Amino acid sequence: MRPRIAIFSLTSCEGCSLAILELEDQLLSILDAVEIVNFREGMTERSWDIDIGFVDGAVSTPEDKREVEHFRECCTKLVAIGACACLGGLNTLKNYQDEDEYRAYVYGDCAKYFPTTPAQPISAVVNVDHELPGCPMVKEEFLKFVTFALAGRTFKLPEDPVCVECKKKGILCLYEKGIICLGPITRGGCNAICPSYGAKCEGCRGIVAEDALKAAGVNLREQYDVDLADVLADVRMFGAYQEKTLP
Amino acid sequence: MLDRVLSRKRLLELVDELAHARRIVGPVKQNDHYFYEPVDRADRLDLDFSYCVYGPKAFLLPPTQTLFRFKQHAGTFETTPEHNDEPLGIIGVHPCDVNAIRLLDHAFANTHPDEHYLTRRRQTFIVGIDCPGPCTEGVFCGDMHGNEATTGFDVMCYPLSRDDTGGDVRYGVVFGTDAGREFILYAQAGDPPSVEDERAFERYQIEKQAAFPQQIPYGVDTLPDLLERSYDSLLWQATARRCYSCGSCNLSCPTCYCFNMFDEQELALGTGERKREWDGCQLRSFAEVAGGHNFREAPASRLRHRIYRKAKWVKEREGIAGCVGCARCDRACTAKISSVEIYNQLAEER
Repeated sequence: MRPRIAIFSLTSCEGCSLAILELEDQLLSILDAVEIVNFREGMTERSWDIDIGFVDGAVSTPEDKREVEHFRECCTKLVAIGACACLGGLNTLKNYQDEDEYRAYVYGDCAKYFPTTPAQPISAVVNVDHELPGCPMVKEEFLKFVTFALAGRTFKLPEDPVCVECKKKGILCLYEKGIICLGPITRGGCNAICPSYGAKCEGCRGIVAEDALKAAGVNLREQYDVDLADVLADVRMFGAYQEKTLP
Repeated sequence: MLDRVLSRKRLLELVDELAHARRIVGPVKQNDHYFYEPVDRADRLDLDFSYCVYGPKAFLLPPTQTLFRFKQHAGTFETTPEHNDEPLGIIGVHPCDVNAIRLLDHAFANTHPDEHYLTRRRQTFIVGIDCPGPCTEGVFCGDMHGNEATTGFDVMCYPLSRDDTGGDVRYGVVFGTDAGREFILYAQAGDPPSVEDERAFERYQIEKQAAFPQQIPYGVDTLPDLLERSYDSLLWQATARRCYSCGSCNLSCPTCYCFNMFDEQELALGTGERKREWDGCQLRSFAEVAGGHNFREAPASRLRHRIYRKAKWVKEREGIAGCVGCARCDRACTAKISSVEIYNQLAEER
């Protein structure tokens, strides 16, 4: 029997849901292998009997919290997809600002009708079985996850940083151009998409390991003449580091 | 002893001839850096290159490579091996990288001959360009004897006279293989070396000896013993606190040949590919085994492992140095960890 799949969205751009639809060449094979039963971005029918539920978006409102708790009840396995669901994502930027100010900025006079909470990854609210991070999620990794689930294989996120992929692609390290790139501390698996186009890694797949973050603290203080506040702002962007400080 | 002398112009013409039968790869300048790139014409190559950011390893041992395809068939698996036997010419390989390829040849031919590597290697023609001096700061190829290649190439070209005004370079050529000899002599290219050429070559060798500064004052031959006695040094821990475990040193190293294997299945599960990809001993999961145990969990133990491989273990096992001194590891390290510094600090501790 084909596993019953659902794709849900909380506070996000739904770009990760869209990434699934962008797997154009594989869509028909996916539909042969699984049954999609609930997908706001892709269909109108809805069922709540779900084997694997994928969720993009952060928990950023009281309604998000109720929804994700409901998803958890309906899904045998729950998978967070994308930076928002895994790390809180760009939504967490508001956590560092004054609540009245940003609500007024976004909702104007209607702010009082839109309650909001500090943005959190969904793992802060419910138990999550797997995470497929990235902004957007890496669609090839989603495909790999589904294939592993079908084959009964244990899926593990890559534990290597982005640097590995830059080296495999043979591209020049951005540090050689004097750019402080987050590649060494960021989980790879994105095929180093940003450095491949000359842009620094911004850490959308999260911090690869605690010891890498510690090394960054040592190196940025001892080896580089940089303003740590700037680097922290970069690390903060996708919520990769939340409350942690550079040691 | 030289086998031939040849102008650069003539060499490039020969490369253009070679391009009819082989894919040509060589140093190409991109902004301020050189990379080994496929080219369609020899004049796109810059044989005056200082150093290439990465060695030519990727053309012999691709970063990711399919080993075989598998297909489920009547309760068992049908497998089809995949080999790449496309003829390749790597033009402009400095002695460090020639020596690195020699080590790869040895590692992949001995004990468990690796047909995927060896098939490519057999189809590869290598034109070396010798270095009259260090290509950039920080290299320690002079210490590691990586700056001198006696085998591992098809032809090696020594720039005997250099014309900085953009004129032609006169190469003294040494044949490394019969294929190399044919490459030059079939076309009747160049001239037999004259007595003056041989003298110029002798002078070149003497000047070259003096041009490479010594970076490891205690000498590279002392390193195996030094490391043997330094297993419990506090330096490993002190240096590794800076290490990101990003593997950049491994992956930019021309002699690192470790790889990881994995299966990639199609969604329908019946078919797929077994692949391998570059791996590195500095990466966290490198020494992790089934059940989750990691033999080298701490960055310090991984750093020590790499340094031992480079200056002790590979030499002991393969008989060829595990390091050619190109310093790509040091340059690739964003934490600025330097293997030369480690060797020298360990020596001073003693």
